Amino acid sequence: MSDLLPAPTVSAAGLTLRYGRTAALDDVSLRLGEGVTGLLGPNGAGKTTLLRVLATAVPPDRGAFSVLGHDPGTSAGRQEVRRVLGYLPQTPGFHPDFSAFEFVDYVAILKELTDRTARHREVRRVLDAVALSDVRGRRLKKLSGGMRQRVALAAALVGDPGFLVLDEPTVGLDPEQRMRFRELIARAGEGRTVLLSTHQTEDVAMLCHRVIVMAGGRVRFEGTPAELAARAAGRVWSSTERDPGAWAGWRTGTGSFRNVGDPPEGADLLEPTLEDGYLLTLDGESSEVRAA
Amino acid sequence: MSTVLETPARAVGPTHPPRPWAAVFALARFEARELRMTVSFAAITVLYVAWIVWQVMERQGDYPILQDVDRGTQAMPILMALSVMLGVNRAVLRSRRCDTDRHFGVLAVEPWRRTVAHVLSVVPAVLFTAVCVTVQFTCAALKPGAAGHGSPAELAVGPLTVLLAGAVGVLLARLVPSVTAVPLFLVVLLFGQVFVAAPSDSDWSTWLGPVVTESTAGPFPSDLLGRPAAWHALYLVGLVLLMALLAVLVSGGRTGVVKAAVGGALALTLVGAVGQSGGTPAATTAARERMSTTPEKFRSCLQHGRSSYCAFPEWTGRTADWAAVVDRVQNLAGGRAGGERLTVEQRIDARYGLDSDAALAPSTEPGHVTIGTGWGGNRVPEFAAVVASVLVAGDEKAGSELCDARLVTVMWLALGGESDPMSALRDVRIDDNVSGSSLVLSPTEPFVMSAEQTRIVAELLQRPRYSVAGKVKAKWTELTSPRTSIARVAQLLGVPVSTASDAADSDSADSDGDSCER
Repeated sequence: MSDLLPAPTVSAAGLTLRYGRTAALDDVSLRLGEGVTGLLGPNGAGKTTLLRVLATAVPPDRGAFSVLGHDPGTSAGRQEVRRVLGYLPQTPGFHPDFSAFEFVDYVAILKELTDRTARHREVRRVLDAVALSDVRGRRLKKLSGGMRQRVALAAALVGDPGFLVLDEPTVGLDPEQRMRFRELIARAGEGRTVLLSTHQTEDVAMLCHRVIVMAGGRVRFEGTPAELAARAAGRVWSSTERDPGAWAGWRTGTGSFRNVGDPPEGADLLEPTLEDGYLLTLDGESSEVRAA
Repeated sequence: MSTVLETPARAVGPTHPPRPWAAVFALARFEARELRMTVSFAAITVLYVAWIVWQVMERQGDYPILQDVDRGTQAMPILMALSVMLGVNRAVLRSRRCDTDRHFGVLAVEPWRRTVAHVLSVVPAVLFTAVCVTVQFTCAALKPGAAGHGSPAELAVGPLTVLLAGAVGVLLARLVPSVTAVPLFLVVLLFGQVFVAAPSDSDWSTWLGPVVTESTAGPFPSDLLGRPAAWHALYLVGLVLLMALLAVLVSGGRTGVVKAAVGGALALTLVGAVGQSGGTPAATTAARERMSTTPEKFRSCLQHGRSSYCAFPEWTGRTADWAAVVDRVQNLAGGRAGGERLTVEQRIDARYGLDSDAALAPSTEPGHVTIGTGWGGNRVPEFAAVVASVLVAGDEKAGSELCDARLVTVMWLALGGESDPMSALRDVRIDDNVSGSSLVLSPTEPFVMSAEQTRIVAELLQRPRYSVAGKVKAKWTELTSPRTSIARVAQLLGVPVSTASDAADSDSADSDGDSCER
């Protein structure tokens, strides 16, 4: 584990949550500090479950965690956590007949922003931050998917939360919208703790100062993106055919194969990327990686 | 590409220390605005206001009886209540419908506080209803000839109904998370009311509903109504609290305070329900009997001109209006009738309940005229007719049995002084027609007008009043004699005699001229 972690603002120890026989979280421990932390993992890794636990949507079966010094294990502590939380669910719902302003205003009220003037100023600020000032009076059903996703981010940001939980916010966005979102998230990470769940290793590479890899409900890696990429040093090579000894490999645009695993002697080694490190970290446990 | 973001304004966070109840009120304001924006609410509001304006402007509503007007304010709030129930139910279910539950579930304002906010969001609708009720009642109270007393408890029923509907809408949404719950609930309620309970007016179960409309034969003194209005208001308050607190409980507000409050609300509801279920109190039944059989013990008499006017306490302000009608009729009469001292007596018959439409028996005392508790509209020419009949026949009993030619004089005296005599003739007849035979309504028993009498009266009413009045006064003795034929009356008053007059006279002669078939 890296020593570069700033003073932890969110920490968890031994979080376990089972759905029947399936362990969605299996003894998860982690520490988060200010800035954007990426949460990588294949489908079913337990990312969303971890976010929901940290967002106090579901209590863990075992284990404990704290957010900005508040213990959600108690009713009062949970309430305090919710007061400092900004949460963007994986598929956020919308009230289609609300305008963008009304929707964010509604969320602001639910975050206990009670002074009407100050609240409206804050709503305008976050809508401005996600570049939706021009359409703030437009009903949500009239907005594009990307715009609605930005409204959801504005709703998560409203009230200046100290802990921002974003569950795959860039899914379904086109490259331009994704780039815009990355900038917004990067800015959001200034001075607050952001936990960003994503499938996109590019998101992590561009945004995150730290990364956590999960698989099978467990944390497989926690460190910096560079440390994750470094895990693949000397374990990525190029070949003309898919190397049967590699446990992951794929054809690249040049027609050659990029292999990840234990290279044969004399292999043409390549510079590792974050994605290579991620794949190696999964260590063949993910069926998706095996399929690759 | 890159996006340039301007330096953001300073962020605003939740207040410290937290003010969760301030958030509840802010949410209630937000939801109240959303409720106001619904199409059904806007439509009901417009309809309600238009209805009140119509009520205020309508002439038929003059001389209102305030103990009836207060109950009249309870009908329109039912529509408002339905609109509120549907609107608030949809608002509570909005998060579930739009899949924002998962998101909002981790925000600071807990579900049970949101439930409280939804209940509070109907308060503006309740206040609007209260204002409408107040305006409606006040306008009625300010109308000329308003009599009686309104009951604050009756006036509170409309707003409480709206509040109850809101609380039920919230509770249903928390219990059955489907927008079909409210329509189904209303259908079941209607079915239960129509087919299962089918309560009579005296049934205790009648009072379990929020609005209890009882049909009464006419206005009655407020002391005789016997409606448990205060108990019912208490019952509604209890029910509102019970529904709202149950909704809070279902939403997760399972604190000891909430549970204790549910118990308190249940007790309040039961106290109200028991209090209102006793039926008409024995004292009220006895008072109805006494006021029906010995009204003189309850009336106070005022002198206007030559005549005396005896009214129940709540109606004494109307005696001047009655006197004006008596004077108008007497001014047209001839002989001693023009100066006769009359005694106008207000009477009711509540011995068999307030919904019994038993007619008042005509008085046999000479010069005594009966008047009921209604006034304005058709009641005025009806009263004029009975005054005229007493002037012509001597007493009410004899007047009610008139069917000979004297009825022509009676009807002309009654209606000749009206500003629009033909309309008055139409109004006072049960068939709303100015030709043919018909019954003429009066405070006691109706008169029977034959087709020929109607023809002559209609002819006279279309002539200048002064020309007929002169002939009536000059020929008074002959016109008011039971032996004078219809043909002769027509001749005396200058109306062409038709063959029907002769036929009518022969019919009258066959029946001795002193009784009529009704």
